[in-house]
Amino acid sequence: MSPELQTVVALVLVALAAGWLVRRALAKRKKPGCGSDCGCAAEKFKSSLKQ
Amino acid sequence: MPLPPHLQPSAPPAPDRRQPVYALVGNPNCGKSTLFNALTGLKQKIGNYPGVTVEKKTGTAWSQHGQPLTVIDLPGAYSLAARSPDEAVLRDVLLGRRTDTPMPDRIICIADSTNLERNLYIVHQILDLGRPVILVLNMMDLAAQAGLDIRVARLSEALGIPVIPCEATNGRGLVELKLAMSRPDLPLPRHSWSIPAPIAAAVSELQASLVENDRRAPLIARAEALLLLTDQDTVRVAGSTTLSPRTLEIFQSWQKRWGTSGTDWAGSLVQSRYDAITGLTANVVRQATAPAGPNTSDRIDAVVTHPVWGWLVLGAVMTALFVSIFTLAQAPMDWIGNHASLLADAVKHRMAPGDLRDLITDGAIGGVGSVITFLPQILILFFFIGLLESTGYMARAAFIMDRLMSRVGLNGKSFIPMLSSYACAIPGIMATRTIEDPKDRLVTILVAPLMSCSARLPVYLLMIAALMPGNQVPVPAKVGLMLLMYALGTLGAFGFAWLFKRTLLKGEPPLMIMELPPYRLPRLRDVLQQMGGRAWIFLRRAGTFILGISIVLWFLAAYPKASAGANPAQQLAQSFAGRAGHALEPVIKPLGFDWQIGIGLISSFAAREVFVSTMGVVFNASADDKENTAPLQQAMGKARWPDGRALFTPLACFSLMIFYVFAMQCMSTIAVVKRETNSWKWPIFQTVYMTGTAWMLSFIVYQTGSALGF
Repeated sequence: MSPELQTVVALVLVALAAGWLVRRALAKRKKPGCGSDCGCAAEKFKSSLKQ
Repeated sequence: MPLPPHLQPSAPPAPDRRQPVYALVGNPNCGKSTLFNALTGLKQKIGNYPGVTVEKKTGTAWSQHGQPLTVIDLPGAYSLAARSPDEAVLRDVLLGRRTDTPMPDRIICIADSTNLERNLYIVHQILDLGRPVILVLNMMDLAAQAGLDIRVARLSEALGIPVIPCEATNGRGLVELKLAMSRPDLPLPRHSWSIPAPIAAAVSELQASLVENDRRAPLIARAEALLLLTDQDTVRVAGSTTLSPRTLEIFQSWQKRWGTSGTDWAGSLVQSRYDAITGLTANVVRQATAPAGPNTSDRIDAVVTHPVWGWLVLGAVMTALFVSIFTLAQAPMDWIGNHASLLADAVKHRMAPGDLRDLITDGAIGGVGSVITFLPQILILFFFIGLLESTGYMARAAFIMDRLMSRVGLNGKSFIPMLSSYACAIPGIMATRTIEDPKDRLVTILVAPLMSCSARLPVYLLMIAALMPGNQVPVPAKVGLMLLMYALGTLGAFGFAWLFKRTLLKGEPPLMIMELPPYRLPRLRDVLQQMGGRAWIFLRRAGTFILGISIVLWFLAAYPKASAGANPAQQLAQSFAGRAGHALEPVIKPLGFDWQIGIGLISSFAAREVFVSTMGVVFNASADDKENTAPLQQAMGKARWPDGRALFTPLACFSLMIFYVFAMQCMSTIAVVKRETNSWKWPIFQTVYMTGTAWMLSFIVYQTGSALGF
């Protein structure tokens, strides 16, 4: 893969990662919590209450 | 012999029937969550101490006819009279006060058979609700060991409900319970008890108002009226509906009338209920064999709760934990670290030089690999925590710590939240819901993140490795340093609690009443299950959040590009990350940190362990040898100040560890504190006081150490 193409692919990956992190942060703001990362009450339990 | 009706196969329910909702209710630590897991197949956290469950959890069980049954696991309580937010959740769900949870159609009451009389109090209150109830007598094996003979059929006959003997930990009684749950025609309870005549008029008036103005069903209204008259009903939580003004007016008028008469009618009501329960248990519980002196739990407690021996046992347990972390984990840690380096080298040798190659090796593998290296230590930590939780030792640790905690004004119930914070501050902060007094609860929330969580462990280990490189340093020295960090965090939490209780949040010295559960042999399956769960969370976090941050960080460390001919260190220095680090350097230089460490401090505000992945990315990006990847500790050892001095000196490493003990470097914790206090004021205050303390103490340590020639 040429260096130019590598740069394009790398920047696309960075944009995707940044977009995902921003989305994750905004989602947390709507429903603050650990996002089930820490082993406390998992989201699947909480969401099932709404059904 | 014919089986009782609730154990006989039942006819399948009508197909149009909606999914029935069951609630699991009982005293704390009676085995509700164990039963919930057994019924639903879920892996809800369990432990042999009170207060593990502080929120309601929902799962699905299956009837004998394959019909789904919704099961709600509720926090434990000794009574429906709520004194803390977790108990208020239980009360509100059962009384249909919550807008977000359906009112249960049926209730499964779980009682600890070894202490039936006390456990029947809440069961008695629930029977008043007039809903179908199944009573599960859990821990029948322990009751038999204690010489108790419980006449199950007689209890079932007296209450008019199915009573199932059970041992939830080994699955005994589950089939019978599922058969009972499958019945569409569960009988309604038929217990009776006498309400003192002067209270009956108040109950009737309140009941009528609750039916008319609060739209309660008649029996629910009666139970709620009894509850209001027993308890002031002051604890309210988000999601619960309030009582109508008319009902409150009636309630207050009765309170006023009783207040002037000087008679404790609420106490009489409680006494009447206890009289009914005492009469009931006298008929169904017999002490088959008299206990001969203190039992095994009592004998162990004589040592582990002793004012002197208890502390020595606690110290020995903590030392054993950290010795295991440093000795058992070293080999797998080296293996993971070496293979991460080999993987990075393999990618370098197969791909042409370029940004994508650097992103994979320096960003993804460098960042994620440096964090995954600490998986063995995390597993050992949670294996020990699981062992201590399942044996019942945690409650004893709370007991001996209460002596110390009461001196600083902390509630003894604060210990379980603070202990949980050693794993992660978030469940610790959520566990404060068991604390009745709002000020005590807030103090605990404010100091819980000072306990050294598992995310700090990789930072400490990395710094200890940099501070004491090589295998020539004896393990006890490393263990001592690690114990010092944990002790500093704990003492810091106690110190700030003392300060807050005397300034911002003054209050009466709290009293603790805590049940010490009997010791049990740890169930390896449960311990391994919890350890596996933690490993999965750690790896998932490394593969998602840490990976995402590492990729973005690589970009920030690689762009904008330096002019041709610049070496990797010059490139990093003029990158976005380098500029941010340089901007922070004047603030952190007095602590012994340069701009490269500054990049780590900024990025680890997201989560503490991100510091390690950031160091991985930064030192891989700035490495001169781009063809061979050195392990992170070696790369850090080569880092220098511009004047040639080593960057990671023992004093700088120690200063950095002190900083991480006290700094509030976790966005998730801030979000949870905001949710639990319902205000931005407290999380902002917490961030300022913790990070300010971290800076001050690091400054004192580094400047004093430098002045002394370290």
